[in-house]
Amino acid sequence: MIAWWQIAILTLYAGYQILDELQIYSAMSSPVFAGLVTGLVMGDMRAGLLIGASMQLTVLGVGTFGGASRIDANSGTILATAFSISSGMKPAAAVAAIAVPVASIMIQTDILARFANTFFAHKIDKMVDEYNYKGIERYFIAGALPWALSRMIPVGLALAFGGGFVANLARVLNTSWKWLGDGLATAGAVLPAVGFAILLHYLPVKKHFAYLILGFTVTMLFSTVFGNIQTLGTAVAGVAKTFTTSFNGLSMLAIALIGFAFAAIAYQQSTATNAGGGSGSSDKKPAADEKGEIEDDEL
Amino acid sequence: MMNSKTPTYKLNDDDFRQINRRSLFGFQLGWNYERMQGSGYLYTILPQLRKIYGDGTPELKEMMKTHTQFFNTSNFFNTIITGIDLAVEEKEGIKGEETVAGMKAGLMGSFASIGDSIFAALIPAIFGAIAANMATKGNPIGVFIWILAQIAVMVFRWKQLRVAYNEGVALVTTMSHRLAALTNAATIMGVFMVGALVATMINVKFAWAPNVGSVPLDIQNSLDMILPKLLPALIVAGIYWLLGRKHMTSTRAIFIVLIVSVVLSALGLIAKG
Repeated sequence: MIAWWQIAILTLYAGYQILDELQIYSAMSSPVFAGLVTGLVMGDMRAGLLIGASMQLTVLGVGTFGGASRIDANSGTILATAFSISSGMKPAAAVAAIAVPVASIMIQTDILARFANTFFAHKIDKMVDEYNYKGIERYFIAGALPWALSRMIPVGLALAFGGGFVANLARVLNTSWKWLGDGLATAGAVLPAVGFAILLHYLPVKKHFAYLILGFTVTMLFSTVFGNIQTLGTAVAGVAKTFTTSFNGLSMLAIALIGFAFAAIAYQQSTATNAGGGSGSSDKKPAADEKGEIEDDEL
Repeated sequence: MMNSKTPTYKLNDDDFRQINRRSLFGFQLGWNYERMQGSGYLYTILPQLRKIYGDGTPELKEMMKTHTQFFNTSNFFNTIITGIDLAVEEKEGIKGEETVAGMKAGLMGSFASIGDSIFAALIPAIFGAIAANMATKGNPIGVFIWILAQIAVMVFRWKQLRVAYNEGVALVTTMSHRLAALTNAATIMGVFMVGALVATMINVKFAWAPNVGSVPLDIQNSLDMILPKLLPALIVAGIYWLLGRKHMTSTRAIFIVLIVSVVLSALGLIAKG
Protein backbone atom coordinates (compact mmCIF):
# COMPACT_ATOMS: atom_id res chain seq x y z
CA MET A 1 0.00 0.00 0.00
CA ILE A 2 1.25 3.46 -0.88
CA ALA A 3 0.50 6.16 1.70
CA TRP A 4 -1.13 9.44 0.66
CA TRP A 5 1.94 11.47 1.56
CA GLN A 6 4.08 9.23 -0.61
CA ILE A 7 1.69 9.75 -3.52
CA ALA A 8 1.79 13.51 -2.90
CA ILE A 9 5.58 13.77 -2.87
CA LEU A 10 6.04 11.55 -5.91
CA THR A 11 3.37 13.43 -7.88
CA LEU A 12 5.03 16.74 -7.07
CA TYR A 13 8.39 15.35 -8.11
CA ALA A 14 6.87 14.10 -11.39
CA GLY A 15 5.81 17.67 -12.12
CA TYR A 16 9.13 19.14 -11.05
CA GLN A 17 11.30 16.81 -13.10
CA ILE A 18 9.91 17.83 -16.48
CA LEU A 19 10.34 21.54 -15.66
CA ASP A 20 13.89 20.83 -14.52
CA GLU A 21 14.63 18.97 -17.74
CA LEU A 22 13.27 21.83 -19.85
CA GLN A 23 15.10 24.54 -17.97
CA ILE A 24 18.12 24.19 -15.70
CA TYR A 25 18.78 20.55 -16.60
CA SER A 26 20.36 19.76 -13.25
CA ALA A 27 20.40 15.95 -13.61
CA MET A 28 17.64 15.87 -11.00
CA SER A 29 15.46 15.11 -14.00
CA SER A 30 17.37 11.92 -14.81
CA PRO A 31 15.91 8.43 -14.35
CA VAL A 32 18.65 7.50 -11.89
CA PHE A 33 17.75 10.50 -9.69
CA ALA A 34 14.04 9.69 -10.07
CA GLY A 35 14.87 6.20 -8.82
CA LEU A 36 16.80 7.62 -5.88
CA VAL A 37 13.97 9.97 -4.86
CA THR A 38 11.25 7.37 -5.23
CA GLY A 39 13.35 4.77 -3.45
CA LEU A 40 13.93 7.09 -0.50
CA VAL A 41 10.25 8.07 -0.30
CA MET A 42 9.17 4.43 -0.47
CA GLY A 43 11.79 3.29 2.03
CA ASP A 44 14.07 1.20 -0.20
CA MET A 45 16.78 3.33 -1.79
CA ARG A 46 18.59 0.33 -3.25
CA ALA A 47 15.61 -0.87 -5.29
CA GLY A 48 15.04 2.66 -6.55
CA LEU A 49 18.65 3.05 -7.63
CA LEU A 50 18.55 -0.31 -9.41
CA ILE A 51 15.45 0.55 -11.44
CA GLY A 52 16.65 4.10 -12.06
CA ALA A 53 20.02 2.84 -13.29
CA SER A 54 18.42 0.37 -15.70
CA MET A 55 16.16 3.03 -17.18
CA GLN A 56 19.05 5.51 -17.32
CA LEU A 57 21.07 3.11 -19.42
CA THR A 58 18.10 2.16 -21.60
CA VAL A 59 17.56 5.76 -22.71
CA LEU A 60 21.22 6.74 -22.73
CA GLY A 61 21.26 7.80 -26.36
CA VAL A 62 17.70 9.08 -26.54
CA GLY A 63 17.85 12.85 -26.40
CA THR A 64 15.14 15.46 -27.02
CA PHE A 65 16.32 16.58 -30.41
CA GLY A 66 14.58 19.51 -32.06
CA GLY A 67 11.61 19.21 -29.75
CA ALA A 68 10.71 15.63 -30.62
CA SER A 69 8.96 13.68 -27.89
CA ARG A 70 10.92 10.87 -26.34
CA ILE A 71 9.92 8.07 -24.04
CA ASP A 72 9.39 9.38 -20.52
CA ALA A 73 11.87 7.26 -18.61
CA ASN A 74 11.50 9.40 -15.47
CA SER A 75 7.77 8.79 -15.00
CA GLY A 76 8.34 5.13 -15.84
CA THR A 77 11.03 4.93 -13.15
CA ILE A 78 8.82 6.61 -10.54
CA LEU A 79 5.92 4.19 -11.07
CA ALA A 80 8.07 1.09 -11.43
CA THR A 81 10.00 1.88 -8.25
CA ALA A 82 6.93 2.75 -6.20
CA PHE A 83 5.03 -0.37 -7.28
CA SER A 84 8.04 -2.65 -7.09
CA ILE A 85 8.62 -1.68 -3.45
CA SER A 86 4.95 -1.63 -2.44
CA SER A 87 4.03 -4.93 -4.11
CA GLY A 88 7.25 -6.88 -3.75
CA MET A 89 7.90 -7.24 -7.47
CA LYS A 90 11.55 -7.85 -8.30
CA PRO A 91 13.22 -4.56 -9.42
CA ALA A 92 14.64 -6.09 -12.61
CA ALA A 93 11.21 -7.41 -13.58
CA ALA A 94 9.55 -4.09 -12.72
CA VAL A 95 11.78 -2.33 -15.28
CA ALA A 96 10.41 -4.44 -18.14
CA ALA A 97 6.87 -4.94 -16.78
CA ILE A 98 6.11 -1.37 -15.62
CA ALA A 99 8.80 1.21 -16.39
CA VAL A 100 9.14 0.63 -20.14
CA PRO A 101 5.40 0.42 -20.97
CA VAL A 102 4.60 3.45 -18.80
CA ALA A 103 7.47 5.43 -20.31
CA SER A 104 6.24 4.83 -23.84
CA ILE A 105 2.56 5.53 -23.07
CA MET A 106 3.61 8.85 -21.55
CA ILE A 107 4.83 10.04 -24.96
CA GLN A 108 1.16 10.85 -25.62
CA THR A 109 0.79 13.19 -22.66
CA ASP A 110 4.02 14.92 -23.70
CA ILE A 111 2.51 15.59 -27.12
CA LEU A 112 -0.66 16.87 -25.44
CA ALA A 113 1.34 19.37 -23.37
CA ARG A 114 3.13 20.69 -26.45
CA PHE A 115 -0.24 21.16 -28.18
CA ALA A 116 -1.81 22.86 -25.17
CA ASN A 117 0.94 25.47 -25.12
CA THR A 118 -0.05 26.62 -28.62
CA PHE A 119 -3.11 28.15 -26.92
CA PHE A 120 -0.90 30.27 -24.68
CA ALA A 121 1.26 31.32 -27.63
CA HIS A 122 -1.83 32.85 -29.28
CA LYS A 123 -2.79 34.57 -26.03
CA ILE A 124 0.68 36.12 -26.00
CA ASP A 125 0.16 37.46 -29.54
CA LYS A 126 -2.95 39.24 -28.31
CA MET A 127 -1.12 40.68 -25.30
CA VAL A 128 1.62 41.99 -27.61
CA ASP A 129 -1.03 43.89 -29.60
CA GLU A 130 -2.36 45.43 -26.40
CA TYR A 131 1.06 46.36 -25.00
CA ASN A 132 0.14 44.25 -22.00
CA TYR A 133 3.60 43.32 -20.69
CA LYS A 134 2.35 41.66 -17.53
CA GLY A 135 -0.05 39.65 -19.67
CA ILE A 136 2.75 38.42 -21.93
CA GLU A 137 4.73 37.22 -18.94
CA ARG A 138 1.68 35.72 -17.23
CA TYR A 139 0.66 33.65 -20.25
CA PHE A 140 4.25 32.62 -20.86
CA ILE A 141 4.77 31.33 -17.33
CA ALA A 142 1.35 29.64 -17.51
CA GLY A 143 3.01 27.34 -20.05
CA ALA A 144 4.53 25.55 -17.07
CA LEU A 145 1.06 24.20 -16.21
CA PRO A 146 0.49 21.93 -19.24
CA TRP A 147 4.05 20.67 -18.86
CA ALA A 148 3.80 19.83 -15.18
CA LEU A 149 0.24 18.49 -15.33
CA SER A 150 1.08 16.22 -18.27
CA ARG A 151 3.30 14.30 -15.82
CA MET A 152 1.51 14.86 -12.51
CA ILE A 153 -1.96 13.68 -13.57
CA PRO A 154 -0.99 10.27 -15.01
CA VAL A 155 1.58 9.56 -12.28
CA GLY A 156 -0.76 10.65 -9.48
CA LEU A 157 -3.71 8.64 -10.81
CA ALA A 158 -1.60 5.54 -11.37
CA LEU A 159 -0.09 5.70 -7.88
CA ALA A 160 -3.49 6.21 -6.28
CA PHE A 161 -5.46 3.56 -8.17
CA GLY A 162 -2.94 1.19 -9.77
CA GLY A 163 -1.74 -0.52 -6.58
CA GLY A 164 -4.23 -3.37 -6.52
CA PHE A 165 -3.65 -4.31 -10.12
CA VAL A 166 0.13 -4.28 -9.76
CA ALA A 167 -0.03 -6.30 -6.54
CA ASN A 168 -1.96 -9.04 -8.36
CA LEU A 169 0.49 -8.89 -11.25
CA ALA A 170 3.44 -9.22 -8.90
CA ARG A 171 1.90 -12.25 -7.19
CA VAL A 172 1.26 -14.01 -10.48
CA LEU A 173 4.77 -13.27 -11.76
CA ASN A 174 6.29 -14.70 -8.59
CA THR A 175 4.19 -17.87 -8.62
CA SER A 176 2.23 -19.45 -11.47
CA TRP A 177 3.81 -17.38 -14.25
CA LYS A 178 7.32 -17.51 -12.90
CA TRP A 179 8.73 -18.05 -16.40
CA LEU A 180 7.34 -14.65 -17.37
CA GLY A 181 8.68 -13.03 -14.21
CA ASP A 182 12.14 -14.44 -14.90
CA GLY A 183 11.85 -13.46 -18.55
CA LEU A 184 11.00 -9.88 -17.66
CA ALA A 185 13.95 -9.78 -15.28
CA THR A 186 16.23 -11.01 -18.08
CA ALA A 187 14.74 -8.41 -20.43
CA GLY A 188 15.48 -5.76 -17.81
CA ALA A 189 19.11 -6.86 -17.86
CA VAL A 190 19.29 -6.73 -21.68
CA LEU A 191 17.49 -3.38 -22.13
CA PRO A 192 20.56 -1.20 -21.44
CA ALA A 193 21.98 -2.68 -24.67
CA VAL A 194 19.33 -0.69 -26.57
CA GLY A 195 20.55 2.54 -24.99
CA PHE A 196 24.15 1.75 -25.94
CA ALA A 197 23.19 0.87 -29.51
CA ILE A 198 21.19 4.09 -29.92
CA LEU A 199 24.13 6.07 -28.62
CA LEU A 200 26.47 4.31 -31.05
CA HIS A 201 24.19 5.28 -33.93
CA TYR A 202 24.44 8.83 -32.79
CA LEU A 203 28.23 8.88 -32.39
CA PRO A 204 30.77 8.67 -35.23
CA VAL A 205 31.57 5.01 -34.53
CA LYS A 206 33.25 4.30 -37.84
CA LYS A 207 35.69 7.15 -37.33
CA HIS A 208 36.46 6.27 -33.71
CA PHE A 209 35.97 2.48 -33.74
CA ALA A 210 39.44 1.94 -32.22
CA TYR A 211 38.28 3.72 -29.07
CA LEU A 212 35.21 1.50 -28.93
CA ILE A 213 37.47 -1.57 -28.90
CA LEU A 214 39.78 0.04 -26.33
CA GLY A 215 36.93 0.94 -24.01
CA PHE A 216 35.40 -2.50 -24.27
CA THR A 217 38.61 -4.49 -23.87
CA VAL A 218 40.19 -2.48 -21.06
CA THR A 219 36.96 -2.57 -19.07
CA MET A 220 36.24 -6.21 -19.81
CA LEU A 221 39.70 -7.28 -18.64
CA PHE A 222 39.64 -5.17 -15.49
CA SER A 223 36.09 -6.14 -14.57
CA THR A 224 36.95 -9.83 -14.95
CA VAL A 225 40.02 -9.40 -12.73
CA PHE A 226 38.21 -7.29 -10.13
CA GLY A 227 35.24 -9.67 -10.15
CA ASN A 228 37.44 -12.71 -9.61
CA ILE A 229 39.36 -11.03 -6.79
CA GLN A 230 36.07 -10.15 -5.09
CA THR A 231 34.86 -13.74 -5.36
CA LEU A 232 38.17 -14.96 -4.01
CA GLY A 233 38.11 -12.44 -1.17
CA THR A 234 34.61 -13.49 -0.12
CA ALA A 235 35.59 -17.15 -0.21
CA VAL A 236 38.77 -16.61 1.81
CA ALA A 237 36.92 -14.47 4.35
CA GLY A 238 34.46 -17.32 4.79
CA VAL A 239 37.25 -19.74 5.65
CA ALA A 240 39.79 -17.65 7.54
CA LYS A 241 38.31 -15.45 10.26
CA THR A 242 41.49 -13.32 10.42
CA PHE A 243 41.06 -12.23 6.78
CA THR A 244 39.15 -8.93 7.04
CA THR A 245 40.18 -7.09 3.88
CA SER A 246 37.24 -6.36 1.59
CA PHE A 247 37.77 -5.78 -2.14
CA ASN A 248 35.75 -3.23 -4.07
CA GLY A 249 34.46 -3.61 -7.61
CA LEU A 250 35.86 -1.83 -10.65
CA SER A 251 35.54 1.95 -10.46
CA MET A 252 33.70 3.31 -13.50
CA LEU A 253 35.09 6.75 -12.73
CA ALA A 254 38.61 5.40 -13.28
CA ILE A 255 37.58 3.98 -16.64
CA ALA A 256 35.99 7.33 -17.52
CA LEU A 257 39.26 9.07 -16.66
CA ILE A 258 41.12 6.86 -19.12
CA GLY A 259 38.56 7.81 -21.75
CA PHE A 260 38.92 11.47 -20.79
CA ALA A 261 42.70 11.24 -21.25
CA PHE A 262 42.23 9.91 -24.80
CA ALA A 263 39.79 12.72 -25.52
CA ALA A 264 42.17 15.34 -24.10
CA ILE A 265 45.02 14.07 -26.28
CA ALA A 266 42.82 14.26 -29.37
CA TYR A 267 41.66 17.76 -28.44
CA GLN A 268 45.20 19.02 -27.97
CA GLN A 269 46.30 17.54 -31.25
CA SER A 270 43.46 19.04 -33.26
CA THR A 271 43.78 22.52 -31.73
CA ALA A 272 47.56 22.39 -32.17
CA THR A 273 47.23 21.71 -35.90
CA ASN A 274 44.62 24.45 -36.24
CA ALA A 275 46.70 27.06 -34.41
CA GLY A 276 49.69 26.23 -36.58
CA GLY A 277 47.63 27.35 -39.55
CA GLY A 278 48.13 23.99 -41.22
CA SER A 279 44.58 23.44 -42.35
CA GLY A 280 42.10 25.60 -44.17
CA SER A 281 41.66 29.34 -44.04
CA SER A 282 44.18 32.09 -43.35
CA ASP A 283 43.19 34.14 -40.30
CA LYS A 284 43.25 31.40 -37.72
CA LYS A 285 46.44 32.32 -35.90
CA PRO A 286 45.26 35.16 -33.66
CA ALA A 287 41.94 33.46 -33.02
CA ALA A 288 43.57 30.61 -31.14
CA ASP A 289 45.31 32.84 -28.59
CA GLU A 290 42.55 35.32 -27.90
CA LYS A 291 40.05 32.69 -27.02
CA GLY A 292 41.59 31.30 -23.87
CA GLU A 293 38.67 32.25 -21.62
CA ILE A 294 36.06 30.34 -23.55
CA GLU A 295 38.00 27.13 -23.63
CA ASP A 296 38.35 27.21 -19.83
CA ASP A 297 34.61 27.24 -19.34
CA GLU A 298 33.99 23.96 -21.01
CA LEU A 299 34.20 20.47 -19.51
CA MET B 1 9.37 60.50 -26.04
CA MET B 2 10.31 58.64 -29.18
CA ASN B 3 12.16 61.54 -30.73
CA SER B 4 15.35 59.77 -31.74
CA LYS B 5 15.49 56.90 -34.20
CA THR B 6 18.52 55.20 -32.67
CA PRO B 7 18.06 54.13 -29.06
CA THR B 8 20.24 55.51 -26.28
CA TYR B 9 19.87 52.82 -23.66
CA LYS B 10 22.99 50.81 -22.75
CA LEU B 11 22.60 47.37 -21.20
CA ASN B 12 24.17 46.97 -17.75
CA ASP B 13 25.03 44.12 -15.39
CA ASP B 14 21.51 43.99 -13.97
CA ASP B 15 20.13 43.48 -17.47
CA PHE B 16 22.48 40.58 -18.14
CA ARG B 17 21.60 39.01 -14.82
CA GLN B 18 17.90 39.34 -15.57
CA ILE B 19 18.23 37.82 -19.06
CA ASN B 20 20.28 34.92 -17.71
CA ARG B 21 17.81 34.29 -14.91
CA ARG B 22 14.90 34.28 -17.32
CA SER B 23 16.77 32.08 -19.78
CA LEU B 24 17.92 29.52 -17.23
CA PHE B 25 14.59 29.19 -15.42
CA GLY B 26 12.04 30.08 -18.08
CA PHE B 27 13.23 29.79 -21.63
CA GLN B 28 11.30 26.68 -22.68
CA LEU B 29 8.14 26.91 -20.55
CA GLY B 30 6.11 28.11 -23.52
CA TRP B 31 7.43 25.47 -25.95
CA ASN B 32 4.69 24.60 -28.45
CA TYR B 33 4.36 22.93 -31.82
CA GLU B 34 3.54 26.10 -33.70
CA ARG B 35 6.47 28.38 -32.97
CA MET B 36 8.47 26.26 -30.49
CA GLN B 37 10.68 28.62 -28.43
CA GLY B 38 9.27 31.80 -30.02
CA SER B 39 7.45 33.13 -26.97
CA GLY B 40 10.38 32.03 -24.81
CA TYR B 41 12.73 34.22 -26.79
CA LEU B 42 10.50 37.25 -26.28
CA TYR B 43 10.03 36.51 -22.58
CA THR B 44 13.79 36.32 -22.04
CA ILE B 45 14.51 39.81 -23.39
CA LEU B 46 11.16 41.59 -22.87
CA PRO B 47 12.34 43.97 -20.10
CA GLN B 48 15.38 44.95 -22.18
CA LEU B 49 13.29 45.54 -25.31
CA ARG B 50 11.06 47.85 -23.27
CA LYS B 51 14.09 49.80 -22.08
CA ILE B 52 15.60 50.04 -25.56
CA TYR B 53 12.48 51.12 -27.44
CA GLY B 54 10.34 52.62 -24.69
CA ASP B 55 6.90 51.43 -23.49
CA GLY B 56 3.99 51.90 -25.87
CA THR B 57 6.02 52.77 -28.96
CA PRO B 58 5.19 51.23 -32.37
CA GLU B 59 8.85 50.13 -32.60
CA LEU B 60 8.44 48.06 -29.47
CA LYS B 61 5.33 46.33 -30.82
CA GLU B 62 7.11 45.65 -34.11
CA MET B 63 10.10 44.05 -32.36
CA MET B 64 7.91 42.11 -29.91
CA LYS B 65 6.17 40.58 -32.93
CA THR B 66 9.51 39.80 -34.57
CA HIS B 67 10.67 37.98 -31.46
CA THR B 68 7.58 35.79 -31.09
CA GLN B 69 8.18 34.24 -34.50
CA PHE B 70 9.34 30.65 -34.90
CA PHE B 71 12.55 29.99 -33.03
CA ASN B 72 14.19 26.77 -31.95
CA THR B 73 17.74 26.16 -30.88
CA SER B 74 19.69 24.42 -28.16
CA ASN B 75 18.67 25.79 -24.79
CA PHE B 76 22.33 25.53 -23.81
CA PHE B 77 23.37 28.06 -26.45
CA ASN B 78 20.33 30.32 -26.86
CA THR B 79 21.83 33.27 -24.98
CA ILE B 80 24.71 33.43 -27.47
CA ILE B 81 22.15 34.38 -30.09
CA THR B 82 20.43 36.68 -27.59
CA GLY B 83 23.72 38.43 -26.82
CA ILE B 84 24.54 39.07 -30.48
CA ASP B 85 20.94 40.18 -31.08
CA LEU B 86 20.93 42.72 -28.26
CA ALA B 87 24.28 44.16 -29.30
CA VAL B 88 22.75 44.90 -32.72
CA GLU B 89 19.42 46.22 -31.43
CA GLU B 90 21.03 48.42 -28.83
CA LYS B 91 23.13 50.10 -31.53
CA GLU B 92 20.77 50.23 -34.48
CA GLY B 93 17.31 49.99 -32.94
CA ILE B 94 14.44 49.20 -35.27
CA LYS B 95 16.76 49.54 -38.31
CA GLY B 96 18.45 46.36 -37.17
CA GLU B 97 15.27 44.33 -37.38
CA GLU B 98 16.13 42.52 -40.59
CA THR B 99 19.69 41.85 -39.46
CA VAL B 100 18.42 40.41 -36.20
CA ALA B 101 15.71 38.26 -37.77
CA GLY B 102 18.17 36.89 -40.34
CA MET B 103 20.86 36.27 -37.73
CA LYS B 104 18.42 34.39 -35.48
CA ALA B 105 17.20 32.17 -38.30
CA GLY B 106 20.72 31.61 -39.58
CA LEU B 107 22.34 30.64 -36.28
CA MET B 108 19.61 28.67 -34.54
CA GLY B 109 20.06 25.55 -36.65
CA SER B 110 23.80 25.14 -36.23
CA PHE B 111 23.71 25.92 -32.51
CA ALA B 112 20.87 23.43 -32.13
CA SER B 113 22.91 20.59 -33.58
CA ILE B 114 26.13 21.37 -31.68
CA GLY B 115 24.25 21.98 -28.44
CA ASP B 116 22.17 18.84 -28.74
CA SER B 117 25.17 16.65 -29.46
CA ILE B 118 27.33 17.98 -26.61
CA PHE B 119 24.85 18.89 -23.87
CA ALA B 120 21.81 16.72 -24.58
CA ALA B 121 23.59 13.55 -25.67
CA LEU B 122 27.27 13.28 -24.73
CA ILE B 123 27.42 14.79 -21.25
CA PRO B 124 24.27 12.95 -20.09
CA ALA B 125 25.64 9.75 -21.62
CA ILE B 126 29.01 9.97 -19.89
CA PHE B 127 27.81 11.14 -16.49
CA GLY B 128 24.61 9.11 -16.69
CA ALA B 129 26.70 6.01 -17.26
CA ILE B 130 28.88 6.72 -14.23
CA ALA B 131 25.83 7.47 -12.08
CA ALA B 132 24.01 4.35 -13.25
CA ASN B 133 27.07 2.18 -12.71
CA MET B 134 27.41 3.31 -9.09
CA ALA B 135 23.64 3.10 -8.59
CA THR B 136 23.54 -0.59 -9.53
CA LYS B 137 25.82 -1.14 -6.53
CA GLY B 138 23.41 0.82 -4.34
CA ASN B 139 25.61 3.92 -4.27
CA PRO B 140 23.93 7.29 -5.00
CA ILE B 141 27.19 9.31 -5.15
CA GLY B 142 27.38 9.08 -8.95
CA VAL B 143 24.12 11.01 -9.23
CA PHE B 144 25.62 13.86 -7.24
CA ILE B 145 28.78 13.87 -9.36
CA TRP B 146 26.49 14.34 -12.36
CA ILE B 147 24.62 17.18 -10.64
CA LEU B 148 27.96 18.92 -9.98
CA ALA B 149 28.86 18.57 -13.66
CA GLN B 150 25.53 20.11 -14.64
CA ILE B 151 26.14 23.03 -12.30
CA ALA B 152 29.39 23.65 -14.18
CA VAL B 153 27.36 23.61 -17.40
CA MET B 154 24.98 26.17 -15.89
CA VAL B 155 27.93 28.47 -15.14
CA PHE B 156 28.97 28.11 -18.78
CA ARG B 157 25.44 28.97 -19.91
CA TRP B 158 25.43 32.00 -17.61
CA LYS B 159 28.71 33.37 -18.93
CA GLN B 160 28.20 33.04 -22.64
CA LEU B 161 25.64 35.88 -22.90
CA ARG B 162 28.18 38.54 -21.94
CA VAL B 163 30.86 37.12 -24.24
CA ALA B 164 28.43 37.02 -27.17
CA TYR B 165 27.25 40.57 -26.47
CA ASN B 166 30.83 41.88 -26.44
CA GLU B 167 32.14 40.02 -29.46
CA GLY B 168 29.04 40.05 -31.64
CA VAL B 169 28.87 38.02 -34.82
CA ALA B 170 32.67 37.63 -34.91
CA LEU B 171 32.30 35.19 -32.01
CA VAL B 172 30.65 32.60 -34.21
CA THR B 173 33.63 32.30 -36.53
CA THR B 174 36.23 32.28 -33.76
CA MET B 175 34.23 29.71 -31.83
CA SER B 176 33.53 27.32 -34.65
CA HIS B 177 36.87 25.52 -34.95
CA ARG B 178 37.26 25.21 -31.20
CA LEU B 179 33.80 23.74 -30.97
CA ALA B 180 34.63 21.30 -33.75
CA ALA B 181 37.73 20.13 -31.88
CA LEU B 182 35.78 19.89 -28.67
CA THR B 183 32.98 17.90 -30.29
CA ASN B 184 35.53 15.52 -31.80
CA ALA B 185 37.21 14.98 -28.43
CA ALA B 186 33.88 14.52 -26.67
CA THR B 187 32.74 11.92 -29.18
CA ILE B 188 35.96 9.96 -28.60
CA MET B 189 35.20 9.83 -24.91
CA GLY B 190 31.59 8.93 -25.72
CA VAL B 191 32.59 6.00 -27.92
CA PHE B 192 35.14 4.81 -25.35
CA MET B 193 32.51 4.91 -22.61
CA VAL B 194 30.00 2.94 -24.64
CA GLY B 195 32.64 0.24 -25.07
CA ALA B 196 33.19 0.25 -21.30
CA LEU B 197 29.46 0.10 -20.63
CA VAL B 198 28.92 -2.84 -22.95
CA ALA B 199 31.56 -4.71 -20.96
CA THR B 200 30.02 -4.01 -17.56
CA MET B 201 26.34 -3.12 -17.63
CA ILE B 202 24.64 -5.88 -19.62
CA ASN B 203 24.34 -8.74 -17.19
CA VAL B 204 23.11 -11.71 -19.21
CA LYS B 205 24.67 -15.08 -19.83
CA PHE B 206 23.99 -18.22 -21.79
CA ALA B 207 21.91 -20.60 -19.71
CA TRP B 208 21.79 -23.29 -22.35
CA ALA B 209 23.84 -26.36 -21.41
CA PRO B 210 23.28 -29.19 -23.90
CA ASN B 211 24.50 -32.64 -22.98
CA VAL B 212 27.41 -33.93 -25.01
CA GLY B 213 27.34 -37.64 -24.27
CA SER B 214 26.63 -37.60 -20.55
CA VAL B 215 28.58 -34.40 -19.80
CA PRO B 216 26.68 -31.08 -19.88
CA LEU B 217 28.55 -28.55 -22.01
CA ASP B 218 28.80 -25.20 -20.23
CA ILE B 219 28.59 -22.83 -23.18
CA GLN B 220 29.10 -19.69 -21.12
CA ASN B 221 32.32 -21.05 -19.64
CA SER B 222 33.64 -22.01 -23.08
CA LEU B 223 32.85 -18.53 -24.38
CA ASP B 224 34.58 -16.91 -21.42
CA MET B 225 37.76 -18.69 -22.45
CA ILE B 226 37.56 -17.10 -25.90
CA LEU B 227 36.50 -13.61 -24.82
CA PRO B 228 34.65 -12.63 -21.65
CA LYS B 229 31.54 -10.48 -22.26
CA LEU B 230 31.16 -11.75 -25.81
CA LEU B 231 27.38 -12.16 -25.46
CA PRO B 232 26.76 -8.51 -24.43
CA ALA B 233 28.93 -7.34 -27.35
CA LEU B 234 26.92 -9.50 -29.77
CA ILE B 235 23.61 -8.24 -28.37
CA VAL B 236 24.64 -4.59 -28.82
CA ALA B 237 25.89 -5.32 -32.34
CA GLY B 238 22.55 -6.96 -33.14
CA ILE B 239 20.50 -4.04 -31.84
CA TYR B 240 22.79 -1.61 -33.63
CA TRP B 241 21.96 -3.41 -36.86
CA LEU B 242 18.25 -3.47 -35.95
CA LEU B 243 18.18 0.29 -35.41
CA GLY B 244 19.60 0.84 -38.87
CA ARG B 245 16.59 -0.86 -40.46
CA LYS B 246 13.83 1.13 -42.11
CA HIS B 247 10.83 2.25 -40.01
CA MET B 248 12.71 1.47 -36.81
CA THR B 249 12.35 3.83 -33.88
CA SER B 250 14.03 3.61 -30.50
CA THR B 251 10.70 2.87 -28.82
CA ARG B 252 9.98 0.00 -31.21
CA ALA B 253 13.49 -1.38 -30.72
CA ILE B 254 13.01 -1.33 -26.95
CA PHE B 255 9.83 -3.39 -27.25
CA ILE B 256 11.34 -5.85 -29.71
CA VAL B 257 14.29 -6.43 -27.39
CA LEU B 258 11.91 -6.81 -24.44
CA ILE B 259 9.82 -9.49 -26.17
CA VAL B 260 12.75 -11.40 -27.68
CA SER B 261 14.50 -11.46 -24.28
CA VAL B 262 11.41 -12.86 -22.54
CA VAL B 263 11.06 -15.56 -25.21
CA LEU B 264 14.74 -16.57 -25.13
CA SER B 265 14.63 -16.64 -21.34
CA ALA B 266 11.47 -18.78 -21.32
CA LEU B 267 13.17 -21.21 -23.71
CA GLY B 268 16.08 -21.44 -21.29
CA LEU B 269 18.67 -20.06 -23.71
CA ILE B 270 19.70 -16.95 -21.77
CA ALA B 271 19.39 -15.88 -18.14
CA LYS B 272 20.11 -12.87 -15.99
CA GLY B 273 23.79 -12.99 -15.01
